[in-house]
Amino acid sequence: MNIIITITVTALVVLYAGLFKAKKALLTITLIGLLTALAFVVTSWNTSQTYYGMMQMDNFALAFSGITILGTLFIFLLTQNYFAADSENTAEYFTLILFALAGIIIMLSYQNMSMLFIGVEIMSVSLYILAGIRKSNFASNEASLKYFLMGAFSTGFLLFGITLIYGATGSFDLTVINQYLVSNYKTISPMFYPGVILLIIGLSFKIGAAPFHFWVPDVYEGSPTLITTFMSTIVKTAGFAAFIRLFADAFAPLHDFWLPPLLVIVCLTLFIGNVTALFQKNFKRMLAYSSISHAGYLLFSLVALTSSSSNNALVYAAAYTFASIIAFAVLILVKQKTGNDHFDSFNGLAKRNPLTALVLTVAMLSLAGIPLTAGFIGKYLMFLNVMNEYQTYLVAFAILNALVGFYYYFKVIVAMYFKEGAELQLETPIQYKVVLVLSLAITLFLGVYPAVILNLI
Amino acid sequence: MGTSVFYFVATLSVIFSLLVIFSKNPVHSVLYLILTFFTFTVHYVLLNAQFLAVVNFIVYMGAIMVLFLFVLMLLNLNKDNEPLKSNMVKIVGVIAGCCLLVTLIGSLKATAVSDPVLLRNPDLGLLKNLGKELFGPFMLPFELSSILLLSAMVGAVLLTKKEKV
Repeated sequence: MNIIITITVTALVVLYAGLFKAKKALLTITLIGLLTALAFVVTSWNTSQTYYGMMQMDNFALAFSGITILGTLFIFLLTQNYFAADSENTAEYFTLILFALAGIIIMLSYQNMSMLFIGVEIMSVSLYILAGIRKSNFASNEASLKYFLMGAFSTGFLLFGITLIYGATGSFDLTVINQYLVSNYKTISPMFYPGVILLIIGLSFKIGAAPFHFWVPDVYEGSPTLITTFMSTIVKTAGFAAFIRLFADAFAPLHDFWLPPLLVIVCLTLFIGNVTALFQKNFKRMLAYSSISHAGYLLFSLVALTSSSSNNALVYAAAYTFASIIAFAVLILVKQKTGNDHFDSFNGLAKRNPLTALVLTVAMLSLAGIPLTAGFIGKYLMFLNVMNEYQTYLVAFAILNALVGFYYYFKVIVAMYFKEGAELQLETPIQYKVVLVLSLAITLFLGVYPAVILNLI
Repeated sequence: MGTSVFYFVATLSVIFSLLVIFSKNPVHSVLYLILTFFTFTVHYVLLNAQFLAVVNFIVYMGAIMVLFLFVLMLLNLNKDNEPLKSNMVKIVGVIAGCCLLVTLIGSLKATAVSDPVLLRNPDLGLLKNLGKELFGPFMLPFELSSILLLSAMVGAVLLTKKEKV
């Protein structure tokens, strides 16, 4: 609760600071607010509290809040030289990102499905607007409208699913629903089943899992790169946490029922994400498809529900978030210099910018899942978890897809180190350096010494 | 008496909502949607949910749908600029929609049917009870929806403001 209050109050203060033209103070205020929220996360660790029976700040919620707040902090650091150049409304952008973060915290800790809905909506409404803040850019307008229409459509599925489940159980509360499933295992109302399917569809839309992924590439490509960073890392992590909370906590007794549709979604997501990413010439679009394929790996934690499922998802989400932040940060730098985001822009980058190239290389290796990086640990845990349930074919399929992934991630590395190109000298502002080095440190640290985060939840 | 009124109004809602999707002219669609919402208002009255009936009548039917109508008239949707959908997409859409329909009808048929207008607690939809629910058990979501409204408001101002170039 104090985390949400801190974040929303920070958002309001930033909004007022913008009103009084205190442009210099915006970033400082935001960072102080986020650091305070992060401090609350640390201090309330291991003190599971329930607020009005609606929100439960358990270790699961706190751990994911920690990742999302830290990721948002990094994204705010990347705003240096980004917004101020072409707009007067930086304060409003900051406020909307903070509101979205407040919605995300609600999505991580809901105990009641009405809270899930409100959290998803707060996050989505802020993002529809943020996707379209480049008002004169056609692609940005298209992204915003497309995201809005698709988001509204998927919200319909989500609401309908919640309604049917309420009709079957008479409650929005996750514990009550779980109790209902356990005690009426033989006589579950037939309304419950379509409700579960509709919730899977609605949430898959939000996390961009195939076959509900078609909006992802266009929206991610059209939105401003910084907003895309936020959408593909923090928002995705939050969507997964909401997914896991609902299905691992409330619907766990029906695992046999929702496993087959989930397996279809996982296989389609892995296949479509990886294979389509192969053919992309545009780095940003490639990252969009790679984020689809990572959604597939993340869903592995729901295929086999064990005590470590949610922790595996945490490790994977952390690895994916920080590696993606690096990739998008370098993309912003390259795009500011060259004006486009094709793979060719990365040619010969390593000669003049050894640090940036090295960091991006590690990020790509982590996304591909090479040992000694966090991505490898994440993938390893996911596969191990599923192997314990003897889903051998699924793991074999996923490993084949991971091999496909190597190809397109290495394309960037090859372009940077082995191709001749215009020898760009990137201007890396100090805050970008901080973010790059910190994310690199987290990625390598989790890869070498994963024990820190392994048994957190 | 109540049951026959319910079935009559329910038939009307189904017919009007079918007309919404089958009429070619978007303005007619919106007009049919208004009629559909009106039949919903009658349903709320039958269920003794007075507050919902009034809100549905004033806000949805009155305000939001008129706004829809204005937007449609401003957009000037002609046949020329309407994108054509391939037959493949249409067929797949029909199949998917029918699957959903069959699932829903099947699951609703399998549940025990109760009398459509018999209320266990006749005071359920009264304003007083709604307020007690909103400010009792559902206080936190009620308060948090203020963030949702505020972010929508900030966004609306942000997107419509003229940019200084």
